[in-house]
Amino acid sequence: MSTMSELISIDGVCHTYTPAHGREVLALDNVSLQVQRQEFVALLGPSGCGKSTLLYLIGGFLPVTQGSIRVDGKPVGGPGPDRGIVFQHFALFPWKTVRGNVLYGLEKMGLPRAEREERARTFIDMVGLSGFEESYPSQLSGGMKQRAAIARTLAIDPGILLMDEPFGALDAQTRGLMQAELLRIWRGSPKTVMFVTHDVHEAVYLARRIVVMSARPGRVKAVIEADLDRADPQLTKSRAFIDIVDEVWSLVREEAVRAERYRAE
Amino acid sequence: MATVGTPLATKATRHGPLWSVLNLSGWIPLLVIAIAWELCARSGMVTAYMLPPLSVVLERIGSDAIEGSLGLQVAMTLYRSLLGFAIAALVGVVLGVGINRSRFMRWLFDPLISVGFPMPKIAFLPIVILWFGFHDLSKLTMIVFDAVFPVVTATVAATATVARELLWSARNLGANEGQVWREVVLPAAFPQIMTGLQVALPIALIVCIVTEMKMGGTGLGGAMMETSRFADSPGVFAGIVEIAVVGYVLVWIMSILRRKLLGWHPESQAVSNR
Repeated sequence: MSTMSELISIDGVCHTYTPAHGREVLALDNVSLQVQRQEFVALLGPSGCGKSTLLYLIGGFLPVTQGSIRVDGKPVGGPGPDRGIVFQHFALFPWKTVRGNVLYGLEKMGLPRAEREERARTFIDMVGLSGFEESYPSQLSGGMKQRAAIARTLAIDPGILLMDEPFGALDAQTRGLMQAELLRIWRGSPKTVMFVTHDVHEAVYLARRIVVMSARPGRVKAVIEADLDRADPQLTKSRAFIDIVDEVWSLVREEAVRAERYRAE
Repeated sequence: MATVGTPLATKATRHGPLWSVLNLSGWIPLLVIAIAWELCARSGMVTAYMLPPLSVVLERIGSDAIEGSLGLQVAMTLYRSLLGFAIAALVGVVLGVGINRSRFMRWLFDPLISVGFPMPKIAFLPIVILWFGFHDLSKLTMIVFDAVFPVVTATVAATATVARELLWSARNLGANEGQVWREVVLPAAFPQIMTGLQVALPIALIVCIVTEMKMGGTGLGGAMMETSRFADSPGVFAGIVEIAVVGYVLVWIMSILRRKLLGWHPESQAVSNR
């Protein structure tokens, strides 16, 4: 069923896990989704709906036990630099400087030294961290840490960018700034992005397509197209934007309520 | 936010390890005790045999130092403590990593560590003497045996709690399993392993002194027992002061090492921002 332009093909994926003390939990139930090359897709849903789990399955961090996930037609195995990931809590190596963090993946690629340094400089500059190359993560603000983590991931030039609530730990102003920055970077070098969030506004602002997931077990509840002009500085005030936010929000609200009940049980 | 971008080097020179030693107010309590000791000893309340004045004790340390015996005793005690500590550190980290990586190792060592850690290892001294005699081998065995526990437990705990996102990031960036261990797990676990080492070092010194007292031979512990046998009370007190100084210096060096090696860690910045 997949056509040539589909880069990620998720078919009938289920995922269960067993918590340390408790019974088996069904986190994802029969999830299918096709993602086009260079598409920006948001995975939206209440916490605990399995949206991050889906991302980890695509990244190869968790094994696919039921259903299939194909990238470029090939089933995913372990993690690989073709699918770069950015985590909510940055996951920078705290004992390495910004430069050291960005260089890590480049060293693993086996690039010659001069080229590694050049690339690291380019990407640190791209995320606006020039002058902080020798700073350790503990000396940076949350937004700067996430910029460094994004530079580290982009430097290895992954075709797919997996983002796991990357701005969820940042304050509101920084988050807005980072969203605009991400769009700018994405326009400069379009990658296939899967962006996990529970922020409706963020999803509509960033993604061309928004996949709304149901509360646990996670299923694809609806897929909303958001074909908006993201270069428009007045975008978030436009009728079209507000209408889509409303539509998505009403879908998510039901699930958020269900998720609340689930947690209360 | 105020610390953003401030180079580490300038902070280190401003509030470096030297500064903490020169921070004289911290030494006042010790000075008070020293004066009280001197006054008490000279007041006639106690005999010089029970408590010789500090000045006499310091004089004794000075003459021992000039004569050369002090240097030799300290050198022997340091050699045993540090060699034992180094072996315990190496064995402890290797064992800790092994326990973390291998189910069999965990099955084998978990109960041994649970029983062995709280138990007074000195109970093995008689049997170690029977096996290895009175010389360095049995002293070193006791030191390693005692000092290895905090290192193993710190290593196991530290390597087991490395954030999964860090491991995933490394794999994602192209690291293989060996590289993940060498380049991510060990550095991430290092602050906690270092804490284990900082606990192990004084233990190594303590056990060294105890075994020297028990088995004799050149060394601070043995020298103290000898002075005690000759009812040479300034000599005994000199030994106590010497051991205290050696222990203090060792712990101090470890804390400098920690700050040097963990410049990246938030704790270093917290300290230097004070």
